[in-house]
Amino acid sequence: MNSLLRSFGPRMTTVILLLSVVWVAGMIIGPQLIMVEQSFWYKDQGGEAAANSVRIDRLYNDIDMLSFDKMDAEALVPSQERDAKIAGIETVVAEKRVVIAELEAREIAPKKVYSLRNYTIMGRSHLAIFIKTILASVAVTFIAFVVCYPMAYTVAKLATPGKAAIIMLGLIIPYAINELLRVFAWLMILNYNGVANYLLGLVGIDSVPFLESGTGVFIAMVYAYILFMVFPIYNTVETLDTAQIEAARDLGAPTWQIHRRVVLPHAKPGIAVGCIMTFMLSAGSYAVPYIMTRGTAEPWFTQLIYNKFFESSNWNTGSAYAFTLLVACIIFIFLMMRLFKVGIKDIAK
Amino acid sequence: MSSVSQTAFGQGSRIVFNIYMVIFFAYMFLPLILMVAAGFNEFSTPSVTVWRGFTLKWFGVLAQDTRMWSGLINSLIIAIAVILVSLPLGLAGAFVITRFDSRYNGLLYGIMVSPLLTPGIILGISTLIFWRETGVSGGLFTAAMAQATYISSYTMLMFMARLERQDITLEEAAMDLGASHIQVFRRITMPFLKPTILTASVIAFLQSFENYNTTIFSIGGSHTLVTEIGSRMRFGLTPAVNVIGIIFVVITIVSAAIYVIFREREKARAAAVKG
Repeated sequence: MNSLLRSFGPRMTTVILLLSVVWVAGMIIGPQLIMVEQSFWYKDQGGEAAANSVRIDRLYNDIDMLSFDKMDAEALVPSQERDAKIAGIETVVAEKRVVIAELEAREIAPKKVYSLRNYTIMGRSHLAIFIKTILASVAVTFIAFVVCYPMAYTVAKLATPGKAAIIMLGLIIPYAINELLRVFAWLMILNYNGVANYLLGLVGIDSVPFLESGTGVFIAMVYAYILFMVFPIYNTVETLDTAQIEAARDLGAPTWQIHRRVVLPHAKPGIAVGCIMTFMLSAGSYAVPYIMTRGTAEPWFTQLIYNKFFESSNWNTGSAYAFTLLVACIIFIFLMMRLFKVGIKDIAK
Repeated sequence: MSSVSQTAFGQGSRIVFNIYMVIFFAYMFLPLILMVAAGFNEFSTPSVTVWRGFTLKWFGVLAQDTRMWSGLINSLIIAIAVILVSLPLGLAGAFVITRFDSRYNGLLYGIMVSPLLTPGIILGISTLIFWRETGVSGGLFTAAMAQATYISSYTMLMFMARLERQDITLEEAAMDLGASHIQVFRRITMPFLKPTILTASVIAFLQSFENYNTTIFSIGGSHTLVTEIGSRMRFGLTPAVNVIGIIFVVITIVSAAIYVIFREREKARAAAVKG
């Protein structure tokens, strides 16, 4: 309470705490928990429901048959035996009706069954897509780091202020242009009759099906998310005192040693953030595979999630898939924090 | 500075480095240039390899597109809603983190920034599921809520950065002189936060307007400008989409230039103050 209460007084403190609770509980934790909860149960329809309706049909048939028996019995000469027989049939029918009512009730309200089925249902082919998505995202992250580190270092330390401003502008413009449009530019290049194949045609090479083979997704993804690596690294390298670099050089360190011993260790938090962002955006990208596969290449894991929710409307399995992706991202974040020895405070700034 | 660049590279590596810069920026800009060029092509599918002559007719086609216009209106509605939600939430979060001393602060902070590290589609889906439980189905409202979840984290970080520079003795002095908590908040805290409120609104607006991944998973049957662009790229693609690209590129270049100029001026001013 302490200083919050002291600076805002009881009424405003209540409002502030209330807003924080709405955000944390109602928008961040609540939705995630419900999603995870959904992923652990399924509605018991499917196979059992089919068996159910078969049983119900059979029971109705039995009742029909019994009603014939009853009519036969009624046709007999009235006697105690006849009455007993009819009563017997009637009790059997009543019993069967109770069972039918039970089964029908279950048919209307399918049972919620807790199990891991939504996860195990994934099967080999979807698991392969999941692994492919993760590996491709790691590759995108790695490429982005290799390409962006020199650029971030240049803007932060090498270029003159005027030049740095121009390079910065050159980085911000493509960064700020909508993701879809950037991907679309590559669609035009890699399309079957696009620019790339036109150029290949000029040198006599047959058209390459970039989109159909799935390479298009990868190429466009590197392009779409590469700049998310530049800015975090730039931000940390910029805070490095240039005198340290000069001192290392004066003491005779070759360029690669300066980077390995001075710049890279200092840039660790930025590199960690860049890697986390790039990986998370790639693994969680729906736009890039949606546009770049045109439904012909093997899907990205996010597309499987989308289909579970909005095409086969199996939200429980969809939740399980989404949670799987989330866990993969969390593991990646912890790996990066371990690898670069940084805490959450360093990451989110 | 230039002496550093002199010593940082030998003659040979300087050439390699320049080639790298040229390739990097060609890689960044050529695709965008192609996209812009195709918007002026008479040919009915976006292309630069089949050139049928210069035209401005796709601007007209886009202006006639009612779904794009309704998408634009939806985008604006959502963006305004996101600003209205994420600014108070972000500010409240920032106050709690900076002034509420408890040992759970670290954990709380981690939770509050976690939406930034969560894939957007998961924020979209979980929001959709959450609101369906209460009987609200997917639409503009759920899309705004899903976006506000992570945009509040952005605004919180911005407010925190500002609050860390605040001179708290000002508030205390005002209170010693008999000002009420509300007066201090209105006369001292808010004016101090004003610039951040402005920039946070702009950032929130842009983040919301540009968002695709979170929105497409939470908006149900409705659409925004960006989700409509997305579906056009798979179905019914015409150079009208390129025209949208041209408009976005122009707006982006202008605002990026303004941003960089401001930044440089701020830097120069900061240097002057220090000197």
